[in-house]
Amino acid sequence: MKTKTSPHMAVNLGRLKLNNPVMTASGTFGYGEEYAGYVDLNKLGAIVVKGLSLKPRLGNPPPRIMETTGGMLNAVGLQNIGVDAFIEEKLPFLRQYDAAVIANIYGETYDEFKKVAKKLSSANGVHALEVNISCPNVKKGGVSFGTDPKIAATITRMVKDETGLPVIVKLTPNVTDIAAIAEAVEKAGADALSLINTLTGMSVDLKTRRPHLKNITGGLSGPAIKPVALRMVWQVVRRVSVPVIGIGGIMTAQDALEFLILGAKAVQIGTANFVNPRATMDVVEGIKQYLAENKIKDINEIIGTFQP
Amino acid sequence: MAANIYIGEILENEEIQEDCFLMKVKTAPSFQNPLPGQFVMIRIAGLNDPFLSRPISIYSFSRNENYCVIELLYRVVGKGTQIMAGLIEDSQVEINGPLGNGFNIQSVKENIVIVSGGIGIAPLSLLIEYLRQRDDCSSSEMIIYPGFQSASAVIGLDKMQKLCRNITVCTDDGTLGNKGFVTQIFQKDMKKYTPENTSLYACGPKEMLKALAKILHNTKFDCQVSLEERMACGTGACVGCAVAVKDKQGDPAYKRVCADGPVFNLTDIIWE
Repeated sequence: MKTKTSPHMAVNLGRLKLNNPVMTASGTFGYGEEYAGYVDLNKLGAIVVKGLSLKPRLGNPPPRIMETTGGMLNAVGLQNIGVDAFIEEKLPFLRQYDAAVIANIYGETYDEFKKVAKKLSSANGVHALEVNISCPNVKKGGVSFGTDPKIAATITRMVKDETGLPVIVKLTPNVTDIAAIAEAVEKAGADALSLINTLTGMSVDLKTRRPHLKNITGGLSGPAIKPVALRMVWQVVRRVSVPVIGIGGIMTAQDALEFLILGAKAVQIGTANFVNPRATMDVVEGIKQYLAENKIKDINEIIGTFQP
Repeated sequence: MAANIYIGEILENEEIQEDCFLMKVKTAPSFQNPLPGQFVMIRIAGLNDPFLSRPISIYSFSRNENYCVIELLYRVVGKGTQIMAGLIEDSQVEINGPLGNGFNIQSVKENIVIVSGGIGIAPLSLLIEYLRQRDDCSSSEMIIYPGFQSASAVIGLDKMQKLCRNITVCTDDGTLGNKGFVTQIFQKDMKKYTPENTSLYACGPKEMLKALAKILHNTKFDCQVSLEERMACGTGACVGCAVAVKDKQGDPAYKRVCADGPVFNLTDIIWE
């Protein structure tokens, strides 16, 4: 239902140019195929694919998910087919579409981050990398990389050295001062930041008095975390000059607009895809409608217009 | 990928046994004919608590020129199904489906043996209905072993009786039919069947399937089972509904019950 006065939706995240600010969040949209029957993938700003590691990963034992009030916990543990299988089997499919393809990458060691980044940089059809330094379900030495500004910066620098693609660093909310991490990775060369990843949480089974998740803890996502995500985006946009991508509990266009008004240049839709496979399309259309209703010709006119 | 999201209108939602409901949902004729073993993700339109949709296997399906009717047989086990149970006629639900891979029924042998436990009868009912309509199965003998905890927990039996004569009902407490676990009763009958002439299908609680796996271990029987797991998306994206199986090389791997299943070969499943 496009009208003649369809607002301008394209946004630039530095060198990364998107047809609109709506992306999928890693781990919630598979490799795109899973939703191709529900969504016109051409109409997405970008598809961020499920986190890729150097070798295929088995993931965590089940149960892996648990519903919570206004959200869910997951401890999937980055089960994925590995970077080589992605390039060979999944990328050709994604290349057919207008949406930018952003490869989310994960490594257990510095070296793995470098190798995955390098492989994807020479693959045809990847437009940017999103570095996952924040998965709460996979830990090395007890600490997730993303909670230490020095380690976060080191990984960022190493990935940057391996690739000519724009590098987005995805931040964890499970820290005391997210802006400090943001500044550290910006300084290390990150082209953009995306936040937030899931909040670590738990759920207890009253019958067995055991955790609902085999992993005990899991990452909380869904509308329950949106206020936290908004607060963190707000803290970060004031401290960095690189583009910020807002993530966390976005279910509707109204939710997405809150992030954009705060200063996020784009948004990622995650858990909403699970409950509404067409959520991304609803958000794109809803943003357009909001802009039209408010006689705003260009999405960029509202980004960062928040007045504290 | 022919699954899609449909608005469903509830025609009937009746408690047919304690905590067991039969919901009949009318939906658009574009809803694809489901294969036995496929399921839908159902959510109450406009409601965000419970947050996730609920996966329910398709119990029966019919269509006319103007609409389809999806029948769902479900047990109230938690918040989501509790709310589903409270829905009245004309309420709207969102239906995403049909999802998953159904039973593989390309070639069916002389004996079709079906073992069900409790609500596990639901997807198997659609399977029986489907096979009954197939010409190449008319010469097959269909033998059904429906198991329940007790006579007061019997569901879906009337429909089975209409479709099939050879039914060996089992209850754990002996209040109806044979006394004992359905797997034990099946085991006693096993000598009647050979792997070469028998297609075996099962659905039921994990413990029942585990017991069946034990019985069939070191035999050459192939058994297709439909699994149940908590799901978030139902489409394969969230990888939340993992089940440990042996892959083609025999190595352990986690498969998605929703997109890789819900039907698996029993021998491939790695039990804890």
